[in-house]
Amino acid sequence: MSRLPWWMGGILMAGLLLMTFSVFGADRPLGASTYVPYFAGLIFDLDPEKYSYLQHIKNPGAWEGVMLLGALLGGFVTSVFITKSFRFSVIPTGWKKYKNKSVVSRLVWSFVAGFVMIIGARMAGGCTSGHFLSGVSQIAISSMVFGTVVMVSLIITGKFFYRKKEK
Amino acid sequence: MQIIVKTAGDDFASRMAQMFETVIHEGHGSLVLVFLIGVIFGGIIQYTRVDKFEKIAGFAMLKDTIVPKMLFLAIGLSSIGLYFMIEAGYAHYHVKPIMWGGLIIGGILFGTSMAIFGKCPGTGPVSIAEGRIDVLVGAIGGLLGGLVFTLYYDDIFKPIMGESAGKITLPSLFPGHEHMVVLIFGIVVTIVAILIPKKELFDEADLSKLPEDQRPDRQ
Repeated sequence: MSRLPWWMGGILMAGLLLMTFSVFGADRPLGASTYVPYFAGLIFDLDPEKYSYLQHIKNPGAWEGVMLLGALLGGFVTSVFITKSFRFSVIPTGWKKYKNKSVVSRLVWSFVAGFVMIIGARMAGGCTSGHFLSGVSQIAISSMVFGTVVMVSLIITGKFFYRKKEK
Repeated sequence: MQIIVKTAGDDFASRMAQMFETVIHEGHGSLVLVFLIGVIFGGIIQYTRVDKFEKIAGFAMLKDTIVPKMLFLAIGLSSIGLYFMIEAGYAHYHVKPIMWGGLIIGGILFGTSMAIFGKCPGTGPVSIAEGRIDVLVGAIGGLLGGLVFTLYYDDIFKPIMGESAGKITLPSLFPGHEHMVVLIFGIVVTIVAILIPKKELFDEADLSKLPEDQRPDRQ
């Protein structure tokens, strides 16, 4: 089988989340956006003494940084040996169909969206993993507010940013 | 033989080594376990293909519903499991604070850019690992976003995010009925996951590499 069905993915993801939360596992939630400013601090050699946010994220940033390295390996190995999806590409098929065929357009939009996405995630205090998966599973009010706002703005943007019919 | 790792330096390599050192001393799982959690996380995302542009941007266009189905199912199941694990003392709450400015403005920025990028911070790295150059460019944008956020956190972002209005969960608003609220929430979310109509947007470039009998669009 080269693709897992959605329900198997959901069950496995719930299992991984519970293992991460449990005291036998990591005793913390699963998150995947704090590592970005953490790596920015590492790469641009920012002094943690000077920037309060870096002190704030020292531990979760390092934890997610190591997890991210694992995710890169897990994603790479699975894409090469199981899903056979490994190949270099610049424009996604869906972008070609519903947006345009311009490399520059895709790269500029990716760059801008990546930039805005991390600022958004850090302002809200989490992303799809930290807020949605980990937060809503705790039935936290903050994460449910975030989840609702994200879903609504995702669908509104999808409606106006892409063309409806295939080119 | 003793292996000595110098982590006191200030070059990039020792800053990376300090990251591992932090995790070792942090007490949230051994270094190997944290790495393994990442491997499984990346493996599940890749194996279900939810890192694909067609899955996330496809959901934004309402042409693909695999992401919400999988996400809602994972949340429904783990909300019940997690609650009873916490009750039994096998896990703890890690609730994020309610900061209205941060949640709403951050959520709008996040949702809008997620629809355009077709990735989120967890699925993005998995896409990079399968060779997506556009996502790598987006990640460089993300790193600069992280840099700007860190540099101007105190002056700009913290005031917009606002004060914390507390770390509240829905069940705690119904004292005495927490079990009931958790069970209803978990069951309803799981049913919603099953009831969302299944729609899929396929990527021919991906599927053409699979043997005919393994193509999900032919089944």
